Amino acid sequence: MELTITGANAIAFPTLYVWDWRVSLYLFLGGLSAGLAIMTSVLHVRKGGALAEGERAAITAPILVPVILSIGMLFIFLDLERKLNVFWFYLTVQPLSPMSWGSWGLIVFYPVSIMYALATFPEEKRNLLRLGILQDWSASLGRYRLQIAAVNFGIAVFIGIYTGVLLSSFVARPLWNSALLPVLFLTSAMSAGAAFMIMLAKEKKVKLFFTKVDIWLILAEMILLPLFFYGQYTSSGAHRESILPFFTFSHEYFWYGMGMLFLLTVLPIALVMKFMEIKEEHGDELTGEALLKMKVSALMVLAGGLVIRLSFVYAGQLSHL
Amino acid sequence: MPSYAMVIDKRRCVACMACVVACKKENDVPPEQYRTRVVEQVEGQFPLLRMDLRPELCNHCDNPPCVYNCPTGASYKRKEDGLVLLKKHRCVGCKACMAACPYDARYINHEKGFADKCTFCDHRLKEGKEPACVATCVGKSRIFGDLDDPDSAVSEALRENHAEVLLKGAGTKPRVFYVKTFSKPE
Repeated sequence: MELTITGANAIAFPTLYVWDWRVSLYLFLGGLSAGLAIMTSVLHVRKGGALAEGERAAITAPILVPVILSIGMLFIFLDLERKLNVFWFYLTVQPLSPMSWGSWGLIVFYPVSIMYALATFPEEKRNLLRLGILQDWSASLGRYRLQIAAVNFGIAVFIGIYTGVLLSSFVARPLWNSALLPVLFLTSAMSAGAAFMIMLAKEKKVKLFFTKVDIWLILAEMILLPLFFYGQYTSSGAHRESILPFFTFSHEYFWYGMGMLFLLTVLPIALVMKFMEIKEEHGDELTGEALLKMKVSALMVLAGGLVIRLSFVYAGQLSHL
Repeated sequence: MPSYAMVIDKRRCVACMACVVACKKENDVPPEQYRTRVVEQVEGQFPLLRMDLRPELCNHCDNPPCVYNCPTGASYKRKEDGLVLLKKHRCVGCKACMAACPYDARYINHEKGFADKCTFCDHRLKEGKEPACVATCVGKSRIFGDLDDPDSAVSEALRENHAEVLLKGAGTKPRVFYVKTFSKPE
């Protein structure tokens, strides 16, 4: 059946344009900070903290979590049309609005991540914290390092899931309206966190440990992505049509097709590279070549995470019931 | 307390757009933005074509996704009369309501920044008048009234005709009903 919308009134017909790259970056950076927070908790708890000993990332990663989160929150702030009204987020709790529980979750995550950065700051380097009060807090919080690590882990998982629920709660947008999306976003966030940890880490054992972690997470992503598309394809007509941009290489949907091709290429390559990294016989120290390979595969994972957020945010707005 | 609803008799719509103009004028809607529209949809294969003229506006749903997704409580459903309205001073312009609405009935007011929408001309209702689009409709296609009043025009129109709502499957329970073609109950 041919179907056209025409007439002098076509100008009044709405073109949905809700969220753009700012929200995509917010979802990516929010997910990255959540993933990194999860990995820092793992780093400090694993083997009773032995893995973190002498490791540069054990100090830098917890500090970077609130920094990355701040940059992400800046982007969502830039997206708000009435920025001066932002305080209304914190004068109400709307239990059915994911954006409301996300805004409250972020306000919990932020101080927890700062507390965790202070708690994990090594005793011998506390003099680097210029303010005396920070040194005192670092000393007293350090005693509850494991408990704060558990809270940090839990709230970071919540934030990782929330970045997906934010999109999946809209019945009007069939591409987003899937229960798998929060799981996919959490997995992608953790994978990005592990990749970022590999880039930050100095010690070989830490790099290889997070490489192993990332292998499992990339595998999970590679299972979740086809499952997501399969679920959409076998659902209603609107859900099926919602994934068309990713598989239609017309000029209209060119970037979505390219995004899908990018993911189909980058994730398996990153997986194979990481697999080779853990199988390779490294000496006591990692060679420059090995370090470069690790950084390249980690960058691929990070780029994959960004492409997932960008393509899903834009393609979701093309989908209609 | 009234329970407001609108019935749109598509048989009587001529797509004159008087409702669109009246709405813009009445509610001071910025240029190139609209609270209501008339979709002219041509279906079929040439030369066997038919045209559907469908005025669209906020459906003032009983199960409104824009209200549920609003993070600040700016969008709300008024219990007294069932209208879905906006507390403008609370709106942060996050656009969650726009993403949530399956009818694309909301828009960011370019001049003021809030997520604006049709109010069924709430200010006119308070004065005992009909919404501007209803008052101006030349074909009497738009019928407005109280669902709880069996003698109201909407109750009568719904009683006399088969009526449908848009995207029934979305579960939003709209309060804008459409009377299609020659639909006397059989």
